[in-house]
Amino acid sequence: MQMAVCPMFRLASFLFLMSSLSVSAEPGYYGYGKPASAEEVAGWDIDVRPDGLGLPDGSGSVEDGEWIYEEQCAECHGSFGEGVGRYPALAGGEGTLTDDRPHRTVGSYWPHASTLWDYIHRAMPYTAPESLEDDEVYALTAYVLYLNDLVEDDFVLDRESFKDVVLPNNRSFFRDDRPDTSNTRCMENCKDPSSIVITSMVAAPPPVQAAPEPVAVANETGLATYRKACALCHDGGIGGAPTLGDAEAWAQRQKKGISTLMANAINGFQGEDGVMPPKGGFLALSNEEVEAAVNYMLEQN
Amino acid sequence: MDDKSKKLAPAELNRRKFLMNSMGLVGGAAVAKTAMAEEAFLPPAVPSWTRSLGPGVLTNPYGQPSKFEAHVQRRNVEWLTADKIASISFTPLADLKGIITPSGLVFERYHAGIPEIDPSKHRLMIHGMVSNPIILTMDDLMRFPSVSRIRFLECPANGGMEWRGAQMEGVQFTHGMLSCCEWTGVLLSTILEEVGVDPRASWILAEGADGSHMSRSIPMEKALDDAMIVYAQNGEMLRPEQGYPVRLINPGWEGNTCVKWLRRLEIGDKPWYHREETSKYTDLLADGRAREFTYEQECNSVITSPSPEKPLSGKGKGKGKYWVEGLAWSGRGRIKHVDISFDGGVSWREAKFTSVVEPKSLTRFGIEWDWDGSPAMLQSRSVDETGYVQPTYAQLRAARGTNSIYHKNAIHTWKVNADGSVSNVQIS
Ligand code: HEC
Ligand code: HEC
Repeated sequence: MQMAVCPMFRLASFLFLMSSLSVSAEPGYYGYGKPASAEEVAGWDIDVRPDGLGLPDGSGSVEDGEWIYEEQCAECHGSFGEGVGRYPALAGGEGTLTDDRPHRTVGSYWPHASTLWDYIHRAMPYTAPESLEDDEVYALTAYVLYLNDLVEDDFVLDRESFKDVVLPNNRSFFRDDRPDTSNTRCMENCKDPSSIVITSMVAAPPPVQAAPEPVAVANETGLATYRKACALCHDGGIGGAPTLGDAEAWAQRQKKGISTLMANAINGFQGEDGVMPPKGGFLALSNEEVEAAVNYMLEQN
Repeated sequence: MDDKSKKLAPAELNRRKFLMNSMGLVGGAAVAKTAMAEEAFLPPAVPSWTRSLGPGVLTNPYGQPSKFEAHVQRRNVEWLTADKIASISFTPLADLKGIITPSGLVFERYHAGIPEIDPSKHRLMIHGMVSNPIILTMDDLMRFPSVSRIRFLECPANGGMEWRGAQMEGVQFTHGMLSCCEWTGVLLSTILEEVGVDPRASWILAEGADGSHMSRSIPMEKALDDAMIVYAQNGEMLRPEQGYPVRLINPGWEGNTCVKWLRRLEIGDKPWYHREETSKYTDLLADGRAREFTYEQECNSVITSPSPEKPLSGKGKGKGKYWVEGLAWSGRGRIKHVDISFDGGVSWREAKFTSVVEPKSLTRFGIEWDWDGSPAMLQSRSVDETGYVQPTYAQLRAARGTNSIYHKNAIHTWKVNADGSVSNVQIS
């Protein structure tokens, strides 16, 4: 977020940099680029800090968050934030940080609630980053806090109530103070040879094989596009996506006609099983690439 | 060609007949291959490629490695991540020479896949506590005075799977989140002078243009010291996987801070504590506390040959003289010494440097070894110019426990077995 700017610091900053750099030029010396207008900055300046700097107007409740979460997050993070498959858990793990297998989550490990707002806003939902409205981000942040038993079910998050949210692990972090080891450069008789025991071992691997000759693929664009943009959901049936190679599911869908399938893949569509995002969320793909991917998917049945 | 067959060595002639006869037969090629290797290619015979013409210029307008090097590839570990979009691949260290990692083999780490960015549409915004907030095009950026420096790039999770014990099969997976390139770009300090930084400013947020909007807080001290905004790597524009058209390089620091597809630098007076500097890239200790902003990659080394991928085999199998080599690096400066032990750390001999020794760069070392053919425990131990000595596993675990994930730089052990194969082991 934009900071207040001291009008007098041109010279001051020049002197500051003079003291820390060997070569130094006055601000604007090269004059390249164009000035960034407040409006341009506002469009990209999305970051939020622990002191709340950067939080926009708006609010969201745990109750609203639950709906959005179920629709847009639960398929990967689980209805209780427990994490589906290898997708990260968002809740649980309190008191496990000193365990043999600690469980690091928003509730058990994260130091600041601002990070949650910032991250959901910048990076989630995974396949459609920066698609949520500010109120939705407030609501989802409130709901993830609720999943971690950190707020009550009637909690509403906004810039003000944010100040009261303190995450339990907040005081456990400290600044880097390494080096924290001090080995010495011993050259002879550094340890007793009879004391050496193998504590763990991986069997020697078979020699690395030459990579197999690439198999000719009729529909290379389709395969490449599929791997890049579609496999994410269609490999494992994430969020109700028909799984690649599930002949029955695809036969059903083909009854709509290939052109409908193509259109739905390009424009996106909400079906009974879930949401198919336009072009799988990869809007840079051309329509031809998406069509090639659909053809590839149909060929696999 | 056929009229020249009289000039062929007799063995080559036989092979040709054999090939004709076996045409269309499954398995023929394999047999022929053996026959070729043993009969026609070795002196005194003259191989066919020495007596014919090859393809001409521009067969590959952008050259590719020989097809016989097809095994030299980045690889991943399927179970590490949920999918390939937010994932990592490893550099095949055992097959590389010198200290420069070819651009196509630099390890990959993304959080939202590789964005496809047209450089003419890319913009870098610099704003916050500055007197002249600006927006630069790539052309603007490339007009600034440039520098080129050889620096390593390492993911702080490199080797993180080995905290509890030996787990990975080869050096590609134990140490391959590591690469080294010549990077070309503009010093961040040059850009900061241009925008005029408020003297009260002390932190910079770097942010990517990919879907994850990757973001890290960088202290002003580093920005003014040696941070670079780079657009080229190994003499050509960055690879898409490496942040094309522009990324940050913080020499010697966690790879994650070297934000790719850089779109924004915000100057501020406090760190932002974003996800990649709280949930991730903090180092949990045994007592439940955690270190934050652990930027430096401490002094480390590994033997790349022999290694599981490079057993002592082939013609030289069994006892005899071997050239043992590997890589050392430190985020705090130059490598000063690398010592090698062949007996699990009882005695050590100093290795030679066989590359240039640049600060915060990979440094290649080598040492001759006369193997007596019995099982041996090989280790390398590096020392950097600050005097820091690479720690043992015991020392590192005593200081941190086993749940830190990041910054594991312990002395690594390869066990050379009597048959010349090499296993990843940890020893007391
Ligand atoms: C298609 C699967 C998917 C969906 C849907 C999804 N996420 Fe995620 N989420 C991920 C992945 C993968 C990561 C880790 C990304 C990485 O490591 O770069 C993640 C990370 C997170 C994290 C950080 C976890 C940590 O411990 O660091 C939060 C918080 C989060 N997601 C919240 C959400 C919210 C809220 C939604 C709904 C708006 C959502 N996610 C939807 C896959 C998903
Ligand atoms: C974020 C997850 C996701 C991604 C990524 C994704 N899909 Fe889908 N897709 C779905 C879901 C969910 C459905 C089922 C929707 C329904 O029928 O309710 C679906 C359905 C489809 C259908 C059937 C449409 C119909 O009318 O029945 C096609 C074709 C398809 N996807 C193609 C693609 C292609 C091509 C890509 C890559 C460019 C892709 N999908 C990427 C989730 C995804």
